[in-house]
Amino acid sequence: MSSIIEVKDLTFAYTSQSTVLKNISFEVKAGTFLAIAGPNGAGKSTLLNLLCGLPAKRSGTIKIDGAAVESYSTEALAKKIAVVRQEFIPVFDFSVVDTVMMARTPYYGPIGFGSKTDREIVNESLKATDSAQFALRPLGSLSSGERQRVFIARAMAQDTPILLLDEPTNFLDLKHQVGIYDLLKSAQLEKGKTIVAVTHDINLAAQYCDATLLLGADGGYQHGPAKDVFSTEQIQKVFGVKVFAGDIGQEKFFLPLGKLAKGSE
Amino acid sequence: MKDHHKLIEDSQSGNSEMSKWCWLFLAMLCWMCTGFVIFGLHQGQNPGAPPLPAQAHRIVSMAPNLTEILFALGLEDEIVGVTLHCNYPPAAQSKPKVGTFWHPNIEAVIAAKPAIVITLGIEQKSFADRLSRIGYDCLSLNIEKLSELFEAIDRIGTAVGRQKEANQLVSDIREKLSDIAASVGKENKVKVLWVVQREPLRVAGRDTFINEMIELAGGENAIGPTVYKYPPIGAEQVIASRADVIIEPSMTLQELAAQQDNALKYWSRFDNLPAVTNKRIYVINGDVVSRLGPRLHQGVETIARCLHPGLFEN
Amino acid sequence: MSRQLTAKKLAVRTAAGLVLLMLAMAVCSFIGTEKVSLRAVLEGIGPQGTVNPDYEIFVKVRLPRIFLAAIVGAALASSGVICQALLRNPLADPYILGISSGAGLGAIIAVISGLNWTFAGRSPIAVFAFVGAIATVWLVWFLGRLTGKFHITGLLLAGVVVNTFFSAIIMFLTLVAKSQQVYATMFWLMGYMIEEDFRVLWVAAGCVTGGMVALFYVAAQLNALSFGEQDARSMGINTARTQIIAFAITAFITAIAVSLSGLVGFVGLVVPHAVRLVFGPDHRQLLPISGIVGAIFLVVADTFARVIVAPAQLPVGVVTAIVGGPFFLLLLVKYSRKVSWLK
Repeated sequence: MSSIIEVKDLTFAYTSQSTVLKNISFEVKAGTFLAIAGPNGAGKSTLLNLLCGLPAKRSGTIKIDGAAVESYSTEALAKKIAVVRQEFIPVFDFSVVDTVMMARTPYYGPIGFGSKTDREIVNESLKATDSAQFALRPLGSLSSGERQRVFIARAMAQDTPILLLDEPTNFLDLKHQVGIYDLLKSAQLEKGKTIVAVTHDINLAAQYCDATLLLGADGGYQHGPAKDVFSTEQIQKVFGVKVFAGDIGQEKFFLPLGKLAKGSE
Repeated sequence: MKDHHKLIEDSQSGNSEMSKWCWLFLAMLCWMCTGFVIFGLHQGQNPGAPPLPAQAHRIVSMAPNLTEILFALGLEDEIVGVTLHCNYPPAAQSKPKVGTFWHPNIEAVIAAKPAIVITLGIEQKSFADRLSRIGYDCLSLNIEKLSELFEAIDRIGTAVGRQKEANQLVSDIREKLSDIAASVGKENKVKVLWVVQREPLRVAGRDTFINEMIELAGGENAIGPTVYKYPPIGAEQVIASRADVIIEPSMTLQELAAQQDNALKYWSRFDNLPAVTNKRIYVINGDVVSRLGPRLHQGVETIARCLHPGLFEN
Repeated sequence: MSRQLTAKKLAVRTAAGLVLLMLAMAVCSFIGTEKVSLRAVLEGIGPQGTVNPDYEIFVKVRLPRIFLAAIVGAALASSGVICQALLRNPLADPYILGISSGAGLGAIIAVISGLNWTFAGRSPIAVFAFVGAIATVWLVWFLGRLTGKFHITGLLLAGVVVNTFFSAIIMFLTLVAKSQQVYATMFWLMGYMIEEDFRVLWVAAGCVTGGMVALFYVAAQLNALSFGEQDARSMGINTARTQIIAFAITAFITAIAVSLSGLVGFVGLVVPHAVRLVFGPDHRQLLPISGIVGAIFLVVADTFARVIVAPAQLPVGVVTAIVGGPFFLLLLVKYSRKVSWLK
């Protein structure tokens, strides 16, 4: 299995004082699920944006499918990477199916309309994300969870080998959180997509990912399978929080306990 | 391998992309060329009927004083259109209407089938331009001073072939004016404050035809030279003017007496003004003094009666 | 999936709209202060030495005005669609980025300078207004970029600042100018329609239609831009190119409209909303339909302006506001459930 994402010695700073990423190196093998975790300000979203080819002064290399990310045109990169960010309602409210169809814009004909193939791909994505039932409804009429699924459907309709997600389960209830992770995992297993998801939930990450990238606020990082990366000591060091550890099968789970929490006595 | 990505992707969609823009550009080029073929390159006017010769005797007048001049030249039968406010002579009121001075109706003007349209001033310049552009003869006149009035009468006379009548009219007006000037010539000049608007207070300045009329009537403007023709002034300037007489032209011709009483009350606040102490505040018929036309001498005489009442006791 | 837009549906709707437009233009060209009969018009120019007033009025006064109204209405409505798309703001209209005050400043400078020359048969006001509009848009663009590339808020603020500043200058110049010139400018600022040279109308029609087609080419990308620049770029849209093309073309066709007919308000703001409420936000449809509806709207509004207080001519901008306001309110009430930003 080749590496579809290769990052070597990536260093990035917003200003000369605050270096956000220091010499980060890791590889993501095609068809695997990488979870990126870390405290606020550690640079998770920044890393994601850099992977998408955000032009910025940085040193080190980022290679997507063997080629440097800068060498891709916007359109070419969109055929390799699809990104899912926080859901929102645009000022002008499009319907669900129109929203998902926009992912096919680079494939439109000269007059700006999609072909039958495009429509089929869109339908498939809607079905896969269980959104077909509100295909004609405007985005504003859906719940947050339903909307996030539509955004994921749009990314899937782009039909790319890589899917990047920035905190896809923020503000979602338990059912939807789990639903989305199941969706992503099945996309990985059934369609062979490479999933990279930034997340705050280290437990869900551990349950679903093949590898974890844990970014520290000091620029340090740890990369490897979840059971190697997550430990009570590591979490205490990186997040500054005491956790109670337990086992689920092969993986551990961690419950953060503050000073006043009942379980910390 | 890395540079290939950019090249490959761009060329695939690139062809259809470029070609639709090329088609658009070509189409627009063809459109513009066709336009120039159809309409020609020269500064042409729209294709249309050639104007009727001026001697076709159909005249449209776009201002009340122009109408008065035309009637005075004996052209009553040739006038086919006047404005709504052309009320003198009374015969003018039964002529077809083509809008007002400020709002001329181009369709009505055309419907009147004019041979020549006479317009007044810069205000109507764009209207005159529009008419010329669609092929109608326009005579644009500026009548802001006495000398321009005589000039205008002369030009109208030439345009409609009534030079003799025009010269006669001009000398008539001059004669009547000099008669009045003769009678008031020996008197002292009376200081006049000519109020065109009360709130905010605006008066006629020195650079107006009203000023010329005042001087012909044996008066002088109480206000010194100003930048604006009809300057807004404040109470200070009113008091400093030490006006002997205040004249307010009225646009409503009824109940001038009642308006005069009203005026006396209004101006009583300036109890230091000679005009107020001597109760020399006059409200007069605005029509005769707001139009520079053949009734000019009437206007000047009206003013003279206010300034030198003693002279007109008979 | 039957409510999705297809190329065929769009073609049918556009064709129907064009037929409606031609109908409206035909009917309105027979409405006016003077009675004009079709038969008399068809008789053409009278024999030498006579004049056919019906023909004259129809061909020289009515038709040019109607065509001008259609062109300006289409230009302003399309611009409105694009401005709202680029700024992602429902309150945007074509004048928001400085075009109105720039054109107004150009016009009043032309009036005050007292220039009498004509440029290709057009008065200097139109030329100065056009130049003023384009120059001001460029200025606003330049200022907006100081806050960052394609920073929407920065662009909007730059537009507001420039509009305010230039409006102040316009007011100052108005006070200093002679009264007749002021009257001319005031009239221009409220929007008017007069008979234009057919050659000018031809060129303007070509530019505006060409501009609308070019905007249609980027309409699909504008759909994606509704989700923000980042998302649009992730979907493969070249956002910089799309925005520059859309911005430049909008500025161009608005400047043309404004130089021909002064500042006609309301069309660019209201027509896109009305069409969006009925047909949805897809720009591939919104653009052509708004253009057609804008044209019809202005043709009808101008007809009202010509006859309601005859012989006076109401500035057409007054009519668009009076006619458009209540009509828009009605649509809004009826379709308010669809509009998310009203909730």
